[in-house]
Amino acid sequence: MLMSPRNISGTNAIPAQAGIGLRFQHHQAVVDARPDVPWLEVHTENYMGGGTPIRYLEAIRRDTPISLHGVGLSLGSAEGIDPAHLARIHKVVERIEPGLVSEHIAWNMIGGEYLADLMPLPMTEEALDVVCRHVDQTQNYLKRRILVENPSTYVAFGNSIIPEWEFMAAVAARTGCGILCDVNNICVSAHNHGWDASAYIAALPIDVVGEIHLAGHSIRSLADGSTLRIDDHGSRISEEVWTLYRQAITRFGAVPTLIEWDNDVPPFDVLLQEAGRAASLIASKERRARADAA
Amino acid sequence: MPTLLEIQRAMRRSLVQGDSTAVSAMLAAQISPDRLDIYRNTFLLTLTRALRLCFPVVQKLVGEEFFEGAAQIFVAEHPPRSAWLDQYGSAFPDFLHAFSPAESVPYLSDVARLEWAVSGALHAPDTEPLDINRLASISSEDQRRIRLIAEPSINLLYLAYPADAIWRAVLAGDDAELAAIDLACGHVHLLIERRATGVEVEHLQAEPWQFLARLCAGEPIAAAIDPNSDFGFASALAEHLSLGRFASFELIPSQAEDQG
Repeated sequence: MLMSPRNISGTNAIPAQAGIGLRFQHHQAVVDARPDVPWLEVHTENYMGGGTPIRYLEAIRRDTPISLHGVGLSLGSAEGIDPAHLARIHKVVERIEPGLVSEHIAWNMIGGEYLADLMPLPMTEEALDVVCRHVDQTQNYLKRRILVENPSTYVAFGNSIIPEWEFMAAVAARTGCGILCDVNNICVSAHNHGWDASAYIAALPIDVVGEIHLAGHSIRSLADGSTLRIDDHGSRISEEVWTLYRQAITRFGAVPTLIEWDNDVPPFDVLLQEAGRAASLIASKERRARADAA
Repeated sequence: MPTLLEIQRAMRRSLVQGDSTAVSAMLAAQISPDRLDIYRNTFLLTLTRALRLCFPVVQKLVGEEFFEGAAQIFVAEHPPRSAWLDQYGSAFPDFLHAFSPAESVPYLSDVARLEWAVSGALHAPDTEPLDINRLASISSEDQRRIRLIAEPSINLLYLAYPADAIWRAVLAGDDAELAAIDLACGHVHLLIERRATGVEVEHLQAEPWQFLARLCAGEPIAAAIDPNSDFGFASALAEHLSLGRFASFELIPSQAEDQG
């Protein structure tokens, strides 16, 4: 039986460097080659069972800090979060001892059914109360702070009155959770709703951003001649997103940054290249910060 | 102004039932309802992909296009009950059984039952095998009350078609083997379990299968043994225990003792 070591030394903490989203395709490659990557993030839902997947993750976590990123807790569900799902997350957290645990500002459970996507919330006081109650519930149950990720959205509701960046800041302020700033999602949603992506980043509170996500998106033409950006995590990170990322680390400082790629997953080397680009931006940002301080 | 719950119910109707009337009226004025298609597509694609991962042999048997069509109807009729998608698809074999376009492939639902059991074995929780010494420490008068609890990856199937042979031939891509299978060979008794080396699908004889099925269903060991049979129950039980097919046991409460 594989036993995971207790990382009393704190080596499971996620460093402020560029990590990679680990998918099943790369389990064996990562175990065999031990690529030089400072941390890895996985989707919590993929490790809720026994057998091979969790065994790979236990082997990998001996050397590499792991972040658990959930897609199914549905923090924005009007009917409450599923206690069985929260318990499953807790079990994975206990077994893997991740450096970070994160979820989304979204919903996907309704009437006991799972809608298999991160669904948009109306930006209302009611939705804010619901999300905050569920973040509190989650943090109390897991006995740890979580990060919540800003969504990518394609529609907006007529009753929305709170700008999304204010909604994010309010969740963090009320619950003490951190923000996972997904720069690609900001780029996607800003285009889809006519916001200023740069102003969004400038409006997020500095001290609570605990992680950044970077990913690729695609552009789809609609029947009315307009375009919609789709957050499909299926390509390299766009130059526009890299520009926003520079702004983000200038504002938030060096924070753990993740390369996500979920569709048409490329060889691990391609992910390492993308992570290398993020790493060099973090390093040059830190050099500048030291020079400014001197 | 709609409440959060009203919006979520309307969105569900759009995704699952393809009826966007209610939610369209809740969108901001500048948002085209066409954009709702993105969510419906992701809903259908994600769950079709989950079914494809779980039922690869069914897909090979009917072809990608047929599978996708069947999956999309299934998904709309049976959305998942949780975000743990490893557990999604339990109703798919029964759905295929009743799905009239698949009538010409009568063994399809049996192959689906086997694939569902294989998937369940892959994702079953990790447990330690039952320590035989614990069993031996039960006093002889209590032994008749022992009920075993199966290791969670174990699944026993009794199928009308030789689904295991079909499954193996399709996975091996062996068309000659597939063509040579006698579909009229009668029912098969299968044991599916996860061992250290991976998931195994074993073909059992009727009597050993029935004995194991009784034990897995929680019958007391004593009751699962047929005294009129010359089947080697003791050695079969010893083999199940040594292979770790049971995770624990419990003692059935005795009425007499409760009253005494």
